[in-house]
Amino acid sequence: MTHVILVVEDNERNLKLLQDVLEYAGYDVRAARTAEDGIALAVKEPPDLVLMDLQLPGIDGMEALRRLRESPRTADIPVVAVTAQAMKQDRERALDAGFDGYLEKPISVRAFPDQVRSFLPDEEVGTE
Amino acid sequence: MAERDKRRPADQDPAANWGITAEVERLASQLAEVREQLAATSEVLAVIGRSASDLEDVLETVVESARRLCGATAGQVFLVDEDRYRFAYGSGLRPDYRELVANNPVVLDRGTLVGRVGLDRQATQITDVLADPDYGLTDAQRVAGYRTILGVPMLLEGEVIGVLSVWRSQVAPFSDHAVEVLTTFAAQAALAVRTVDLMTTLESRTNELERKVTQLEALGAVGQAVSSSLNLTEVLNTIITQAVRLSGSDGGSISEFDEDARAFRLETVCGTSQKAFDDLRRAQIGLDDTFMGKAATLGRPLEITELREAPLDAHLRVLVEHGWRSLVAVPMLREGRIVGAMVIRRRTPGHIPQEIYDLLETFASQSALALGNAQLYRRLERQSAALEIASRHKSEFLASMSHELRTPLNAIIGFSEVLLERMFGELNERQDDYLRDIWSSGKHLLELLNEILDLSKIEAGQMVLNRSEFAVQESLEYCLSMVRERALKRRILLSLEVDPAVGLLDADRLRFRQVVLNLLSNAVKFTPEGGQVDVRASINDQDLVVLVADTGEGVPAEDRERIFDSFQQGTRSSGQVEGTGLGLTLSKRILELHGGRIWVDSEAGQGSTFGFALPVGSGEPTLKPVPQADLISGITPGPDMDPGPTVVVVEDDRRSFDLLRVYLEAAGARVVSARDGEEGLDTVRRLSPAGVILDILLPGIDGWDVLARLKADPDTAAIPVIVVSMLDERGRGFALGAAEYLVKPVGKEQLLAALYRAAAMPEQKHTVVAIDDDPLAIELVKASLEPEGWTVLGAVTGQEGLALIREQQPSAVLLDLLMPGMDGFEVVEALRADPETKSVPVVILTSKSMTPQDKERLQGRITYVARKTEFNLSGLAGLLRWASTSRQSPASESG
Repeated sequence: MTHVILVVEDNERNLKLLQDVLEYAGYDVRAARTAEDGIALAVKEPPDLVLMDLQLPGIDGMEALRRLRESPRTADIPVVAVTAQAMKQDRERALDAGFDGYLEKPISVRAFPDQVRSFLPDEEVGTE
Repeated sequence: MAERDKRRPADQDPAANWGITAEVERLASQLAEVREQLAATSEVLAVIGRSASDLEDVLETVVESARRLCGATAGQVFLVDEDRYRFAYGSGLRPDYRELVANNPVVLDRGTLVGRVGLDRQATQITDVLADPDYGLTDAQRVAGYRTILGVPMLLEGEVIGVLSVWRSQVAPFSDHAVEVLTTFAAQAALAVRTVDLMTTLESRTNELERKVTQLEALGAVGQAVSSSLNLTEVLNTIITQAVRLSGSDGGSISEFDEDARAFRLETVCGTSQKAFDDLRRAQIGLDDTFMGKAATLGRPLEITELREAPLDAHLRVLVEHGWRSLVAVPMLREGRIVGAMVIRRRTPGHIPQEIYDLLETFASQSALALGNAQLYRRLERQSAALEIASRHKSEFLASMSHELRTPLNAIIGFSEVLLERMFGELNERQDDYLRDIWSSGKHLLELLNEILDLSKIEAGQMVLNRSEFAVQESLEYCLSMVRERALKRRILLSLEVDPAVGLLDADRLRFRQVVLNLLSNAVKFTPEGGQVDVRASINDQDLVVLVADTGEGVPAEDRERIFDSFQQGTRSSGQVEGTGLGLTLSKRILELHGGRIWVDSEAGQGSTFGFALPVGSGEPTLKPVPQADLISGITPGPDMDPGPTVVVVEDDRRSFDLLRVYLEAAGARVVSARDGEEGLDTVRRLSPAGVILDILLPGIDGWDVLARLKADPDTAAIPVIVVSMLDERGRGFALGAAEYLVKPVGKEQLLAALYRAAAMPEQKHTVVAIDDDPLAIELVKASLEPEGWTVLGAVTGQEGLALIREQQPSAVLLDLLMPGMDGFEVVEALRADPETKSVPVVILTSKSMTPQDKERLQGRITYVARKTEFNLSGLAGLLRWASTSRQSPASESG
């Protein structure tokens, strides 16, 4: 079974990049351009992993994470921040808020699929 | 007269029969006189003692007593006042006479008795003024009606200070006794005058002193307030209160001057009603249209003695309305600038004493100081608030800029990686090339961005050093490994030399690496293809010193300082390479955080050496010894080594020469420069070098001529000449006898290959002994060397190899290091110990990665270390030919 990854990213080009890289690595990618859309999508059809930009129009990544955690359908989905914020305190703040991981932009295309894989819940089982 | 009457009978009848009775009477009378005189004198003295400061009291007692004792109608005292005598006291005088003498001081001449006494300094009597032709005070005489007058001087230390006189209305001369009495009283009066003078002076001094003390106390209070309190109102209040009190005024105010508004604003008042204060606050007290402004502009105190008569302005009008009558406005200046004004007011008209002005000016300057301090403080407060905001804005800006730049960079770097990963199909060479350009430009931008963030962190004092002890050598090796690929690609030789004294360093390991890596990347970036970058580490005093030397174009003098300042990249590249950006600035700051420093030594065109020094810290200086020279790859031109074959380079262009020198020295040659044809010929004749590199376009004798002459001279004809020129005239070159002909620009490998070929002596038999425990390796060597005309003798053990070498005396030895039994190191040692084989060139060909100890063992004993993995066997022939030319020079025994 192919893993479903939901990417929430407002920058069109970066969304496309993540989508291309993840699809190339064999994932089923769903895209959302706002946190609201992302949450709606996640609730409707819970993905295996959410990659969440932190700075989003409207509801930001932090708030989106909180809402995902509130809903029983999405509470257990790992959520990884993918952000261009490079300050040390940003990473700490995100991890404190409950993100399962923190990936900095620019991403390394070669390493990215592996990094993403490490956050997937059934990695050890080797479902893929 | 009574006295005279009493004395006369005794004088007239000295020998009378009833003489005794008379004598007794006379004596009794005399006694009474003396007693009276004594009583009077003691009274005078008592008065003097009692009321020392009251001259009138004393003079009254003196004059009254004298008049009585002398039996005079009247008595008076005149005191010296400059060149005249002024009436001071009188007794028994008519009011009109008193008025006359009070208004007409006596002049010092013989026309008056007083004048005569003053001039003659002795007692003088005029028996009848009407009979004295010289007497001039006829008016006074008519008024007072005196006939006989007697005067005595009041003497003080020989000076006449006044005249005491008595007179009678009839002509009746005073007796000698009367003169005596008067003289005594005059002396006492003089004393009294002097005492009173002294007392008066003393008293006024005391008063003045008291006033000064009060002023000083007030100023002290003010000064303390100014220096101890930043509460401006409190300070100004203290000042104005003291100023009003000391000047004996009723109220006052201090106003601050606003330079922008050109107007005064009332700051504080004293002795002023709230209503008046409010009114004054509201008043527009301009600089140009008010009395206060005028005083400030003139820079001196101005006074109004009657406000009701003065032209009114906004300020004065309020004062008049509130009942003020007079004032002084004192400007408050600081360094020539108006800072405000102080006003002292009275509810009565009139002058304020001049002496108060000085005091007020002192107060005004204190107020100016206080105002200045307060203004400064306010400005600082405003500035620091502004700075705080600016700093917050800067951090916010940096964070947001970082984010904004990273977002598109993610796409740029990411998509180029996607394509380079061939996710969507194959790329042609050019596409691949361009994508790499895009990718590395993106990476470069990212690096800059990170450097900016690091710098701002340092500048905000937020960079925390994560100190630990680590081995310097390992860290340096790591850094070299990071740039090795880039260096190899551009055929730049890297070397590392760590002094044995260098051990551990106490510093932030990652930041240390960041600095070294930055210097190394710059060195590689700015060194032309085929150049060299040397890293050396040593201990100087308590500092670790790391030097990174390159063979690039160097840093011009004017850039050497600013190259370490943000955004100040030197113009040392021709635009071919990306800048150093912020790397050096960042390195400098990181080193400074560690208590270290960075510098650059360079000469334009001569390469640069960037160095830094760091305190070693608590680390033990030496943990492990490391060898003098550490060879990363390539040939071994260690400092103590055999100088190698000599090559003369005839080249007039400094840059070209430097480049050639670098290439040749990297190959172990000793390079000698000749700047023109003439010098080239001389040098070659003198040194008989292994080879000559010859430029054609030279000043004076050109290269063609040099080549022809060298070939025509039997002593130099055999020396191979390699022409390196801009001119592509190979035919002519070879015709004249050139061994090789290269057209500029010339790369390192091209040059060395030509040299190896040219230096080979054709008539010599080339034999090489190859020692390797792997027979396949020997086969490989044979396969590459035999087509080049070499005889390859193989040996699979060290012992076998040694025997072959002694037997065959080959032109070179090719040696593996790792062998069972006798290993390569032992072979080298055995070869060097035997005079027969001492100087045979040895080239190490090994897959072993050389440890510092390995390198030390081989130091100075071999010609070349080549890694099997890195070395291209096709170059082996040239290498061996080259190595065999070094045979002529004795191998050094250094180590």
